[in-house]
Amino acid sequence: MTLIPAIVWLVGIYISERLEDFQFMVRGDQTEFLNVNPTYFKTYFTNDFLLFMMIMILVFCGAGLISDDLKHNALQLYFARPLKKRDYLFGKAAVIFFFLFILTLVPGLVFFIMKMIFAGNFKFFASYPWLPLSVIVYSALLTAFFSLYTLLLSSIGKNRRYVAILIFGIYIFSDIFYGIFYGIFRSHYFSLLSIKANIQQVGAVLFNQRTPQDVPWIYSLLIILGISALSGFMLKKKVKGVEIIK
Amino acid sequence: MTAVIQTQKLSKWYGNVLGLSDVTLQIEPGITGLLGPNGAGKSTFLKLITGQIKPNIGKVSINGQRVWNNYSLFSQVGFCPEQDSFYEEMTGWQFVTNLLKLHHFRPDEIENKAEKALEIVELSNDKDRVIRSYSRGMRQRLKFAQAIAHDPNIIILDEPLNGLDPLGRRKIIRLIKEYKSEGRTIVVSSHVLPEIEAMTKKIILIHQGKIFAQGDIHYIRDLIETHPHIVSIKCSHPRLLAEKFIHQDFVSKVYFDPKKNALLVETNNRDTFFALLPSLFVENKIDVEEITSPDDNLQAVFDYLIGK
Repeated sequence: MTLIPAIVWLVGIYISERLEDFQFMVRGDQTEFLNVNPTYFKTYFTNDFLLFMMIMILVFCGAGLISDDLKHNALQLYFARPLKKRDYLFGKAAVIFFFLFILTLVPGLVFFIMKMIFAGNFKFFASYPWLPLSVIVYSALLTAFFSLYTLLLSSIGKNRRYVAILIFGIYIFSDIFYGIFYGIFRSHYFSLLSIKANIQQVGAVLFNQRTPQDVPWIYSLLIILGISALSGFMLKKKVKGVEIIK
Repeated sequence: MTAVIQTQKLSKWYGNVLGLSDVTLQIEPGITGLLGPNGAGKSTFLKLITGQIKPNIGKVSINGQRVWNNYSLFSQVGFCPEQDSFYEEMTGWQFVTNLLKLHHFRPDEIENKAEKALEIVELSNDKDRVIRSYSRGMRQRLKFAQAIAHDPNIIILDEPLNGLDPLGRRKIIRLIKEYKSEGRTIVVSSHVLPEIEAMTKKIILIHQGKIFAQGDIHYIRDLIETHPHIVSIKCSHPRLLAEKFIHQDFVSKVYFDPKKNALLVETNNRDTFFALLPSLFVENKIDVEEITSPDDNLQAVFDYLIGK
């Protein structure tokens, strides 16, 4: 189900190159949405459904990554071996990297390559040579952010259900709070409260598009980087071989 | 003999709580018993020497190398924690092999080492059963297996006999002694003196985060012998028995516990007391219901020794 957007977008790329074969399906001149350009990529990467699916993946695959080890007292056995804390965390993050790259980096690069294959030339690459780099940077940023966000929440509790609720709840409620405050104060600055809105702001900039909110994008980037740095710092403190009971 | 584990002015505290204070000692090859009541600082000491927590003051070294953050050193150490640390849905085989992978052995080495460790702890026949179905004794032996599987020179065992039945205890004690005979260094913690006594003569007494005494078990035994010992006796004629005890030199106090309907006798010569007890019962035709030692625990001994 998480790959549905990728498949739809890929089919869109195919149709965009074979418009004459699908003319019977098109009314009038409404083919603008099939124009494959950076907007097309940005729409894929920042659409609400894809981000929601990523959160669902984090809920099901990420919640138990550290919390299960805490529940089973496994860390004391791991860290009594030649295993560095950094390697442990990287190993856990690799699970999230794998799933999120399947939804971001892999489809992004596949879209790019398939566009050129369907077109039979390198015109698209010549027009947007920076686009693969945008795909890579956006995928890396999004994956790093979600990995640190998930691992931090997973290290908070021993119960993976509680962690799953936190992963989902913080994402959803951050957006709901934005909606509530925007409804009251009519200020787009409250979009900085929303994880989703911040990702969409940064995504728009990376794909050279107009930002959806009338707020400097650098604020969103700083918030994403700040949360990531804070998560990394707290993870380093929280993940220990022994539970310290004060 | 050269010391394998050395600590110098080792101190650790958790916020305002003192875990360990100014511990300087040397541990040589063989079995060393770490003895102390619950909360004495035994686990803190073991976690410091296995490099799991960082000391606030002082240093720990193994074979002359600093322990903290020295990951390569951890291959030489096998650690058996006090608490269960199992993924219950795993089999015993999966548990041991997965932990061996963290030592970066080759797949064939992992299989051989896991096979050998499980054979040593007599779990080969049950290795494919899920841990959830293991008994308490099997779980303890599995924890022991993961500690020895990578063939370490130093084995740290935190309360390895906790909750075991007598047969299970005997098996673990035998295994520990076998490892000692191979020249390895083994540190075993316990809060029960006879458990440690069954394994070694070298002991370290720890209390309230400090090393209270260190040396031969006989020294500790001597200290304990002088500890006035209280024995509670429920019997058919407690007052008659009290009268008989009054005349004995080794009895320092006799009194009654009305709540439990028991006679309490305080003695400073436990062996003589217990040697005389059966004859007193028989000669005076006293029926015995129960004999207990309410203060026969390490905490009482420590409290007495500190007071002294």
